Amino acid sequence: MENKEDNKPATVVEVVDQGPLGIKGSFILKDLKRGSESKPGEVWLCRCGKSKNKPFCDDSHKKND
Amino acid sequence: MGNNKSFSGGRRYSNDDITVYWKPSACIHATYCFRELIEVFDPGRRPWVDMKAAPTDRIIEVVNMCPTDALTWKWNDNEKNKDVPQDQTNHVRFRRPELLDDEIAVNEVRPVVVKVMVDGPIVINGTFDFDNDGTRKEVKDSLISVCRCGASSKMPFCDGHHRKIGFTG
Repeated sequence: MENKEDNKPATVVEVVDQGPLGIKGSFILKDLKRGSESKPGEVWLCRCGKSKNKPFCDDSHKKND
Repeated sequence: MGNNKSFSGGRRYSNDDITVYWKPSACIHATYCFRELIEVFDPGRRPWVDMKAAPTDRIIEVVNMCPTDALTWKWNDNEKNKDVPQDQTNHVRFRRPELLDDEIAVNEVRPVVVKVMVDGPIVINGTFDFDNDGTRKEVKDSLISVCRCGASSKMPFCDGHHRKIGFTG
């Protein structure tokens, strides 16, 4: 709560072109489909719909090129 | 946006320096606030208080004109609330002392919540940096919905296509 002053963003969400959604930093991940909740610090979430390890990316998108 | 919050004592609006409290039930429509400073206090706008529209000292001046405790204010830096001159008539110390203990939300960092929706998108809620196509912008106290099924026509955002294609996952 106090150390918000430094300029580093607490959470960064990155759309990887033709790839997953990267989320880094401070956040709570709630997977409503699988009923889990965690604070992973960094995740890569599938955006192509083909991962066998949803909600995470397993590089299945590359097989599509 | 994002700096006005409902709380048990009415509503509160903050800039970097102060928080203005509004207690609607105490308003007798003396109209000082919007006659003096319509940029900040505009009853026709939602939210009706825009704390960015005038300098802090001017906002304090106008809040002090309110004849009731409908509008009160205090410094966000609690140290400065300890010794407040009497002429600051509408400081919460004189009007609503219970608010001296109110924790201000200005610097409150609410955790970013990432929800993986059932057979639907990723919904991210909070304040975070959003990097899309090499451009980065700050999403502030808001939410985005990112496609997870691969079929959206509004990539990277969800456009509801997951339902049409029967996406599960």
